[in-house]
Amino acid sequence: MIFEVGRVCVKLAGRDAGQRCVVVDLLEDNYVLIDGLTRRRKCNVHHLEPLGEVIKLKKGASHSDVSKEFKKLGIDIPKKVKAKKAGERPKKVRKVKVKPAKEEVKKKKPKKESIIATAKKELEKKVASVTAPKEEVKKKVSPKKKTSKK
Amino acid sequence: MVRGMFKSRTLRRVFRKTPGGRNTLTYRKRKPKNHVCSECKKVLPGVPRERPYKMMTLAKTHKRPERPYGGVLCSSCSREKIRKQVRT
Ligand SMILES: [Zn+2]
Repeated sequence: MIFEVGRVCVKLAGRDAGQRCVVVDLLEDNYVLIDGLTRRRKCNVHHLEPLGEVIKLKKGASHSDVSKEFKKLGIDIPKKVKAKKAGERPKKVRKVKVKPAKEEVKKKKPKKESIIATAKKELEKKVASVTAPKEEVKKKVSPKKKTSKK
Repeated sequence: MVRGMFKSRTLRRVFRKTPGGRNTLTYRKRKPKNHVCSECKKVLPGVPRERPYKMMTLAKTHKRPERPYGGVLCSSCSREKIRKQVRT
């Protein structure tokens, strides 16, 4: 078997092409588990070019074991750099001038309401004074219309 | 008669439907040739055939396969090339 556990290979296909790796496990007929400078993944044997070296590895060895063995060969596997978490975005602070303006608005509102309330009261007074005679007028008008229709 | 510049075949012709329902002839610039493998001259799949202004808008990963020699060599030629490098 060329593709035994511990065989150093070069990957030919995909984005990891040209990178060195080791066979870690044997899977189905033509498939093996590889690890090393490539990602740890299942791989078709046809996508691998075997090299002369064989590393002593247990079947299904972990990534840390593989990286230790690779160091002996003089290959450093760069550690995965975790993506930095996005820091808090600078919040837009509104100008200080806005705050007093808001307070003014709050003060104005009750004023308006009070004005409206007073106006309403005045209106009610007017209506009360006006409605009484108006009703009399309507009463006077309504019978006339009825008579005309008849 | 058409204008003289539209008589030549440097521009490609496209029939477009107007909002009024008529078919009119419009003229467009031609697309560039397909990208080919530099060794076997096969057409490279995965490399879009667009004018430069359109290519500028595309993402880098949309313009070529993400492998060594991607967009230059076809997959089989790139495998051969890596094999030769390894064996020597
Ligand atoms: Zn080719």
